[in-house]
Amino acid sequence: MMKGKKRILVACGTAIATSTVVARKIEEELTKRGIDVVITQCKAAEVPSKVDGQDLVVTTTFVSGTGNVPVIHTVSFLTGIGMEQDIEKIVEYLK
Amino acid sequence: MATIQTIVQFFLDLGASVFLPVIIFILALIFGAKPGKSIRAALMVGVGFVGINLVLGLLVNNMGPAAKAMVERSGVELSIIDVGWPASAAIAFGSNLAALVIPAGILLNLVLLFTRVTKTINIDIWNFWHFAFAGALVQAVTGNIWYGLISAMIFAATMLFFADWTAPAVQQLMGMPGISLPHGASTSMVPFAVIVNKIIDLIPGLNKMEADPEAIKKRFGVLGEPVFIGVIIGLAIAALGYAGSGPFATWFPRVLQSAISMGAVMVLMPRMVALLMEGLIPLSEAAREFLQKRAGGREIYLGLDSAIAIGHPASIATSLLMVPVVLVLAVILPGNRVLPFGDLATIPFMVCMMIPVVRGNVVRATITSTIIMIPTLYIMNALAAAQTTVARSASFNFPEGASTITSMVDGGNFLAGIFVWAANNFWIGNAIILAVLVIAWTLYKKNSATWERVAGYRED
Repeated sequence: MMKGKKRILVACGTAIATSTVVARKIEEELTKRGIDVVITQCKAAEVPSKVDGQDLVVTTTFVSGTGNVPVIHTVSFLTGIGMEQDIEKIVEYLK
Repeated sequence: MATIQTIVQFFLDLGASVFLPVIIFILALIFGAKPGKSIRAALMVGVGFVGINLVLGLLVNNMGPAAKAMVERSGVELSIIDVGWPASAAIAFGSNLAALVIPAGILLNLVLLFTRVTKTINIDIWNFWHFAFAGALVQAVTGNIWYGLISAMIFAATMLFFADWTAPAVQQLMGMPGISLPHGASTSMVPFAVIVNKIIDLIPGLNKMEADPEAIKKRFGVLGEPVFIGVIIGLAIAALGYAGSGPFATWFPRVLQSAISMGAVMVLMPRMVALLMEGLIPLSEAAREFLQKRAGGREIYLGLDSAIAIGHPASIATSLLMVPVVLVLAVILPGNRVLPFGDLATIPFMVCMMIPVVRGNVVRATITSTIIMIPTLYIMNALAAAQTTVARSASFNFPEGASTITSMVDGGNFLAGIFVWAANNFWIGNAIILAVLVIAWTLYKKNSATWERVAGYRED
């Protein structure tokens, strides 16, 4: 059976620096595990207008207005500490 | 010796889009990244560079003539264009100083860490560009690359100090233990925020005021979207410059085209920098692992990008309020020639480190930001010539005689201003800066609990 790709919204302060690191890292780790995802980067302030249709929000900063979409607020992809657990969490949410 | 010089000159003459990938590749290998990954990363840096150059051309070719026409007709003399931080980052990474600032900055950090002067390991290698940028300005003024490097290193050390000082408040506000934010643009605002916050405490009435950040976000939210900033300001400048000159069918389309082009600049520029950023990831990850491995077991703070503090509602709300404030200041401040544009979307970086100090109070953050914006505009005016020189030597070509460029957040940074000013009398100036830094750092270490409380930390 064909399943639609899961969608992850990655939010940070500018949608450039930290979210690029996080997005690439998540993509790399999930690809390793054979999970195909579509990742969109945005600014924290844009989350409410972009959250529709997403399966998960991963953010390095504060976000509000995410509705029912689960949010993971973490800097582990920047520090390397606790990254494995966060990847596991992401995999869990995407199931 | 002459041969070496010829070879070095040959590489520099290749231009930043070729030279920088070579440097990034070598640095990534030194810090232990894999060759395949490093090559791909290095090429992405070159691509990002070309992209930024294209968008910068779009900006200067559209905004330049429109701003010129506006100056001629309205007498509002705003001819120095704020090209925004993405261009400044590219300029900094494209300067020959950047290749020195990254290894020297890492070394300096390790020395200060092992001598127990600082608790912060700055793993945010990407943002070393703020130090390189200030150093490149010093280099442009003095013609001496070592002067530039020394200034950049004093800047980097100062940020480690401010990061240690604010770490407890930042960790409390963010709910993230073990981090600090040694970010050149954001963290340099801390002393101002501390002073202004103390003064506000003494003013009856004002010291009780607070505003609701969520309400401000809702009302002004659209102001923060880069595409709207670009289109609205493009429309305003082009209308002031072209409206009514010649037949309607000539000027009207021109105004609309300028507006859309400016919106395009605001949207495309960050996309190009994301490419540059993508190329720097393997280097910064390798450097992070290199630093962490050597940190040992004691209590350390991991120094991150202040982007993680920007999402705070008070930070977003204050930044939105500041967009019109900055534009009004630019028009009314006597002698100002800077047209704020590219960095209007970057104001959150100036604001975000004030938020822990004022404990999320939007009224206080807005007052502090407004006050700091006045010297910021004058510093931009003063440093624009040097920034334009650096941009040209980093092989960013814009039309001859077209424009002088600046960028608000870094080109107006007070530390950058101080370093360039001190460069007039380099050794004495920098000895004074260093003495102030050492005294302040010593006082902080002697009485860190009080200092940290002043920076917004609460024990309860």
